[in-house]
Amino acid sequence: MRVKTSELTKKYRNGPIEVVAVDGVSIEIGEAGLTVIVGPSGSGKSTLLSLIGLNDYPTSGRLFIDGLDTCRLSGRERRTIRLARMGFVFQTFNLLPTLSAVENVELPMLLAGFSRKQQREKAERLLETVGLSHRLSHRPKQLSMGEMQRVAIARALANGPELIVADEPTGELDSRTGKEIIGLLSEICKKEKKTVIVATHDEKVVEVADAVYTIQDGRLGNSADK
Amino acid sequence: MAATFVVAIGATTMRYATVIREMNVLFNGQVMVVTKGTIIVQAIPINLQGGMLKENLANQIGNVTGAERTIPVILVTNQIDTTKNLDLVPVNFTIAIPLGDWQSALGPIMLKGSTGRMPADDLQYEVVVGASLADQNSWKEGSKIALRGHTFNVTGVLDTKMALLGRSIVMPLKIAQTVYTYPKSVNIIAVKPAQGFTQEQLSNNIEQQIDSVDALTQRERNDVVEPVLAQIETWNTGIEAVVFVISLILVMTVTLMSVSERRRDFATLDAIGAPLSYVFRVVIFETVLVGVLGGVLGLFFGSLTAVVLASLFTSIPLAQFFPSVLEIVPPLYMVQIFVSVVAVCTLAGIIPAANAARTRIAEVLRAEY
Repeated sequence: MRVKTSELTKKYRNGPIEVVAVDGVSIEIGEAGLTVIVGPSGSGKSTLLSLIGLNDYPTSGRLFIDGLDTCRLSGRERRTIRLARMGFVFQTFNLLPTLSAVENVELPMLLAGFSRKQQREKAERLLETVGLSHRLSHRPKQLSMGEMQRVAIARALANGPELIVADEPTGELDSRTGKEIIGLLSEICKKEKKTVIVATHDEKVVEVADAVYTIQDGRLGNSADK
Repeated sequence: MAATFVVAIGATTMRYATVIREMNVLFNGQVMVVTKGTIIVQAIPINLQGGMLKENLANQIGNVTGAERTIPVILVTNQIDTTKNLDLVPVNFTIAIPLGDWQSALGPIMLKGSTGRMPADDLQYEVVVGASLADQNSWKEGSKIALRGHTFNVTGVLDTKMALLGRSIVMPLKIAQTVYTYPKSVNIIAVKPAQGFTQEQLSNNIEQQIDSVDALTQRERNDVVEPVLAQIETWNTGIEAVVFVISLILVMTVTLMSVSERRRDFATLDAIGAPLSYVFRVVIFETVLVGVLGGVLGLFFGSLTAVVLASLFTSIPLAQFFPSVLEIVPPLYMVQIFVSVVAVCTLAGIIPAANAARTRIAEVLRAEY
């Protein structure tokens, strides 16, 4: 999936103050590669990812996905793209606590209308891929943080997305587990030819990235293709 | 809780309204003549101290223009256990009618079993009893019962579900006059209007010709109680409405809190592309489930409470009410309450469900970080 932004800006109000979270960002992300957006806390990288993941509307500017101007899409069309073509990994995993690991992975497939059998087979296969075939019926509370993030990655892959958006995926993890998760995302990116965009301030992620962008005060800094 | 309260209060109110209305079964379409000042609730004189009528007054009333037939009657309430205080609802009634006038006074009579019969002799101490009384005391055809120092032979059991007749002891007038020491006296004379005469015309004629009596038409008898019953039922409906509104607010508040606690979950659903209708349905399903469970539990505990109240108000043993729980809380009323509870909970879920469907991941993440 190709993502292109043009002068993308997001402003919001925090009480009396207007915050410019993303300030005129123009960026082009090619297909099948691990792109990392690096920046300190509050720099606007999560907001930029929300915009790219069609989870938020820009105040101005344009966002194109495979040449399609997303600013013209309705809420329903944006949800359809998120469901069918994108996968999301969050810093705090965002698993539904009442569902088991396998049910969490099945959820996007349920929403996409897969049959019960297809959901279960694929969810088990994905959990096996992320090394959790022995934790299928465990609830998030019974899993370690690293395991929860693996379940979240499996969920992100459920509908076979072209783009995976990961916001601080190692933020809650210790360095060893974080490294494993980054390794997993990198492997998925290479093996399954997916576009992965990661927002982070973790230097270890930068090491495996195909492209790195820095962001500071909402403005994109230098980029480095590796 | 709300469903329990509504079922218990509603069923109890409804039951007593029904019982009171059923009293109209006596002297249906007839004028009731009583001594002046006697208060009549439906067909029951509630202040017997108002005085008795001479039995032969029935002959004089029979000669009034518009009167076709007169039936002198004694109707006494709550007489078996005279040591007890009067119950809120009388435990039983004695209805005493001249031989052969059974049907004119009581309406169509059915007796349990094939060998039962109405008392046939003014000299024999014979009675028929209501089914509820018979069940409570294990009386059946051929049983001997003691009443005010006399022993009676039960010749039949009235086969009726009506509360008044179910709690009645029916005997010949002459026997009742001896047992209750009302020689040659009665407390009611029922008068059937002749063809072409209305109850109102007959009543006016009787009151014009005989000073010492009130002649009450069916409408006048109902006038005493019907407005009160209507008012009670209106209050009951009002209380139900208030309880349901309070329940709606409570369920909505609790669901709003629950949705607020799970904001991140709903935002996650939105992020992964769940349609708004899916998120909406998740919350509505939860409140409907609360309604279904609440409705079932409310009906169970409400019916139980209504049965206990029925027993407390009448001193009839609790066990006797259990088999007839569906008469105390009718199935249609159960369905009505159940549907209302589920509807209230569904309505209560609409605003929280809309809130949940509006939750966006970007807002949640902004609030968290």
